[in-house]
Amino acid sequence: MEACNVVEREVDKILLKFGVVNEHAETVLQDLINHIESLKKEFAEAPANHELTPGQVQILKEAMKKVCETVHRLTTEHRELHGSVSKVGKAIDRNFTADFASTSREDVFSGPEKSHLLNQVICQHFYRHGMLDIAAELAVEAGIKTDEGTKEPFTELNYILDCLKQRNLEPALDWAKKHREALLAQNSSLEFKLHRLHFIRLIQQGPSKQTEAITYARQNLTQYVGRHGKEVQALMGTLLYLPNGIQSSPYSHLLDPTLWLDIHDVFTREACTLFGLSVDSPLSVWYVFPINAGCTALPTLLNIKQVMQQRQVNTVWNGKDELPIEIDLGKDGRYHSVFACPILRQQSTENNPPMKLVCGHVISRDALNKLTNANNKLKCPYCPVEQNPEDARLIYF
Amino acid sequence: MSDVKSLEYPTLKVPYELLNKKFRLAQKVIDREASYVQTAANELMKDNKTSVPAGEMSILLGGVVEKLQTLKRKAQESIAEELQAGMVCKRRLEHLKEHANTAPSVVNQWRRQRLDRMLIEYFLRKGYYTTATKLADSSELRDLTNIDVFMVSREVETSLANHETARCVGWCHDNRSKLRKLGSTMEFNLRVQEFIELVRQDRRLDAVKHARKCFTNYDHYQLQEIQCCMGQLAFPANTSLSPYKDLLDEKRWDRLIEQFRHENYRLFQLASQSVFTVALQAGLSALKTPQCYSANKEGRNPNCPVCNEALNELAVPLPFAHCSQSRLVCSISGKPLNEYNQPMMMPNGYVYGEQALEKMAQENNGTVICPKTKEVFPYKKIEKVYVM
Repeated sequence: MEACNVVEREVDKILLKFGVVNEHAETVLQDLINHIESLKKEFAEAPANHELTPGQVQILKEAMKKVCETVHRLTTEHRELHGSVSKVGKAIDRNFTADFASTSREDVFSGPEKSHLLNQVICQHFYRHGMLDIAAELAVEAGIKTDEGTKEPFTELNYILDCLKQRNLEPALDWAKKHREALLAQNSSLEFKLHRLHFIRLIQQGPSKQTEAITYARQNLTQYVGRHGKEVQALMGTLLYLPNGIQSSPYSHLLDPTLWLDIHDVFTREACTLFGLSVDSPLSVWYVFPINAGCTALPTLLNIKQVMQQRQVNTVWNGKDELPIEIDLGKDGRYHSVFACPILRQQSTENNPPMKLVCGHVISRDALNKLTNANNKLKCPYCPVEQNPEDARLIYF
Repeated sequence: MSDVKSLEYPTLKVPYELLNKKFRLAQKVIDREASYVQTAANELMKDNKTSVPAGEMSILLGGVVEKLQTLKRKAQESIAEELQAGMVCKRRLEHLKEHANTAPSVVNQWRRQRLDRMLIEYFLRKGYYTTATKLADSSELRDLTNIDVFMVSREVETSLANHETARCVGWCHDNRSKLRKLGSTMEFNLRVQEFIELVRQDRRLDAVKHARKCFTNYDHYQLQEIQCCMGQLAFPANTSLSPYKDLLDEKRWDRLIEQFRHENYRLFQLASQSVFTVALQAGLSALKTPQCYSANKEGRNPNCPVCNEALNELAVPLPFAHCSQSRLVCSISGKPLNEYNQPMMMPNGYVYGEQALEKMAQENNGTVICPKTKEVFPYKKIEKVYVM
C-alpha cells in the first residue's frame, strides 16, 4: 500500500507538470503567434515596395529574438521534466521487486509436455467457471484436445446452477433423478431437498394450490419418510396453516430464502463429490490454482532469500527438498493433516509414522524407539504413564 | 513485504517504460519543430536587409507563423500523449490500491482479477494472443494488462515467421538507444539474415552491396561473424559444410523470433518467467505435502490443488512445504482439529474430528463409519488422542 502511494505521488507530480507545461506552451505560443501576426499585418498593409524603416527593422529583430528565446525556453522546460519522469521509474524500482522470479525455477513448467499439462489445467479452470468460449479458444491456440467428457459435466452443471439461481428446479431434479443411485450411495439428501423446495413453493401460493401440493407430496415425498420422517411431517404440518398464511405459523422457517442459497451449495457439493472433483474450488469458488497461496508465500520466500544472500548461506536454499521456512496460509491452506513429531520436530513419513501411546499422546515411531529404555519400558514424555512400547499403535491422520 | 510489492513490478514498470518512451519522443518532436522555427527566425534576421520590401517581409513572417503553429500543434499532441501514458500508470496504481480494501467481496473480486491478469500475461508470453485478448475483453482488464505491448511484438513475430525483416528492423530503430544500452545484437543478426537470404537467392553481388552498407558500422567483436558471412559467398547455397550450412538453416529465423522476444522483455524490464508461473510454483510448494504423493490414493484430498492430477505431476520437482508444528485437519469436515474439535481415533487407527463423528453418530443411530475403510464402529469405541 505504502509502495503504491510513493509511486502514485511521483506519478501525480509528473501529471501535474505535464499539465503546466502544456498550458504554458499553449499560451506562450499563442501570444507569440498573435504578436507576429500583427507585425505581418502591419507589413502587409504597407505599400508592397515600401522599404523598412530602421525602427521597423529594430522591432522585427526584437520580435525574432523573442521567438528564438521563447521556443528555446519551451524545449528546455520540457526537457527538465525528464528528472521527474525518471523519478517515477526509480520509485517503482525501489518499492517493487523486480526479480520476483529469483526463488522459482524456470525448468519446472518449461518443455512441451509440462506446458501442455499446465495449459490443460488452465483450460479446465475456464470450463469450470463457465467461460466456455475462452476455454475453447485456448484449446485451439494451445493445441489441447478437449474430449467432450471433461467439458460436458461443467457445461451441464453450470446450466443447472444458473437455473437454480433463477429458482427453476426442473433441471436439477432431472439431474438428481438420473444420478439417484450414486447420490444415495454418498448419503445425499439432494433430491429430497429439491422436492421439499418445490413443495414449499406450491404452499406459498396459498390455498388455491392445496390439492396440487398434496398430490405432489403423495407422488414424491413418500419415499423419504424413512430417512427424513421429521422433515416430511413438518412439511405436511404447513397444510394446517395454509388459510391463515404460513408466515405467522410455527413453520415460517420453511419460507426462509436462504434455503435457496443452501440448495445451490448442496447441489455443487453433491455434484462435485459425484464426479470426484474438488468440492471447494470448482464452480462456486473461483480458483483452481493455488495462486492465492502463492501470492501469500512469495513475499516470505523472497525475504528469506534476501536474508540468506546477505548472510551468504546460499547453500541452504537448494530448492529441492523443503522450503526453508514455514508459510502460514491460514485455514484455507490446510488440505492434509501434517503430523510433526513433538519430540524430534520432524514431519512424519511412511517410515516414521505417528504412534499413539496408551495414554493417548502421539509421537513418531523413531521417537518411541529412542525413548524406550533397556528394560523395554517407555515413559510418556508428557504424562507419568509408564508403558510397554509394544502397546503403542499406529494411527492415520 | 506484501504480495503487491513482490508481484506487481511488471504491472507498473511497463507503463512507466512507455511513458518514458513517449517523453523522449515528445522531446524529439518539440526539439525538431523548435529548431525549424528558430531557423526561420534566424533566416529572417540575416536577410533583414533594409532592401527587403514590406510585402515580401510579410510573406516571410507568414512562414514563421506557420512554423510556430505547427510547433504549437505538435507540442500539444505530444504532451497529450504523455499525459495519457501517465494516466495509464495512475489507473494501475489505483487498481493496486484497492487491494488494501478488506471487504470480502472486494477482496475476492480483486483476487479474481489478479488471476485473470496473470493468465493474460501468461497467454501473451506463450503467444496465445487470441485467448489473451478474449479474456482481457470479457473481464475488462485491457487497461490493467500489458496486452498492447505484446500486440506490437506479435506483429513483429508474425513478420519474422514469414521471413520478413522490415518490421523488426523498424522496431530496432524505434528503440535504438535503449537497445544499444542493453548491448543488443538484434539488428546485427537481422542484417546477417538479410545477407544470408540474398546468398540463398544467389544474388551474391547484392549481398556484397548489402554487406558494404550494413556491416561496416559494427564493432570488432562481431568481426568473426562478419568474416563467416563473407566466407559464405564462396560456397554454394546447398553447401554441407559447417558453419555455412548452419547459417543457411531455416531454423535461424526461429532463433531470431526467440531473440526478439527476449530483447523485448529486457526492453520493458520483464522477468524471464511470467508472474503466473512464479506464483503458481510458490503456491504449489507451500501446499505440497508428502500425502499428496502417498502411494495409497486415500491420502489424497480432492480439494487439494497439489492432489489434482495434472498439477500433481507438475509439482514433482518442487520442494515440500516446511512444517515444524503439527497441523491437523478433519478429513470428513475439512475443519482444523484443535481444542474445540478434538482429534478422535477409531479402533482401526484412523483419526477424525470430534464434531464430524458426533454428527455421524447422531444420523446413524450411534454408529460411525470410517470413510476410508468403510468399517462400522459404535461411537463409544472412539478414543481421544493428544497431539502436542
